[in-house]
Amino acid sequence: MQPSNPSPGTTQPSLAIADARTVRVLTVDDSASMRALLRSALSSRGFAVEQCEDGQEALEWLASHEVDVIITDINMPRLDGFGLIEKLRTSALHADRPILVLTTESSDEKKQRARQAGATGWIVKPFDADKLTTALRRVTH
Amino acid sequence: MSRHSPIRLPNGTPEPQTVVKTTVIQGQAHASDDTRAEFNTILGSCVATCLFDPVARIGGMNHFLLAEPPKSARTGEFDSNYGLYLMELLVNQMLQLGAIKSRLKGRLYGGANINADLGAIGSANAAFAREFLTREGIEKVFEDLEGSRARRIQFRPASGLVRCREVAPVAAPTDKPLVRPQSALGNVELF
Repeated sequence: MQPSNPSPGTTQPSLAIADARTVRVLTVDDSASMRALLRSALSSRGFAVEQCEDGQEALEWLASHEVDVIITDINMPRLDGFGLIEKLRTSALHADRPILVLTTESSDEKKQRARQAGATGWIVKPFDADKLTTALRRVTH
Repeated sequence: MSRHSPIRLPNGTPEPQTVVKTTVIQGQAHASDDTRAEFNTILGSCVATCLFDPVARIGGMNHFLLAEPPKSARTGEFDSNYGLYLMELLVNQMLQLGAIKSRLKGRLYGGANINADLGAIGSANAAFAREFLTREGIEKVFEDLEGSRARRIQFRPASGLVRCREVAPVAAPTDKPLVRPQSALGNVELF
């Protein structure tokens, strides 16, 4: 588990001030490079970012923590994104939590599987930071 | 510096009878465990990453050039997001064939600074590729990066054997930084 940025939004203070509260985002991705990119993009846009390396770690962390929205990759060791979504949807705490899938997968079959598992949205990498931000604001509104 | 990878086919490994060649162009990633397969590419400022799982005998190659940042980008000279996408695409293709990420060995080629008008774009690509392998914990066993010469790469994914030769710069494709492809705009679909 990587600690939250202690001062999210410090590089873009106007964005952070514009929000009544800071949106808390958990990103789940086994790629350290992708985690670093997401942390940079989201922190600079005023989000509080928590990060896990795979679905299993996320599941364990979410058992005792709350966030406003989850962004998860699909292909991960131990517990993949599909498994994570399915397990969270059976949990009273996270049954209605917005979950966005962020993946290199582009097949309709995988997208439908994510939808059936209970995903809130589907984003194909490489992501556009502003489009991702708009989606996060929308699902947490 | 040697232009050949230290990897050798084990004694007794039969040479494949027929080679099936695939050209890996900029923006692509291919992986295979087929002993007949050979991936080819020509690099100027671009970088090719060759990954190999020596246990599963699965290999893959990508070919990327960091794109110019999208208009929405607020920082950074190049769009590393697109390079990262091509790296992840390569790794995921190999994992789907049965490779294990912790076993992967990496070789990096290209990143030449051929055209002075483009600045040190080759070095920027090389630095990105090195940093990716370091961050992901993938051992880099060989690199032939930067300089000012174009390179032709031949990679046998099932054996890990790589051949790198310098070629005339005119043989390399034009390495002008691209804007991000239309197919990779990060569109969001909410269910």
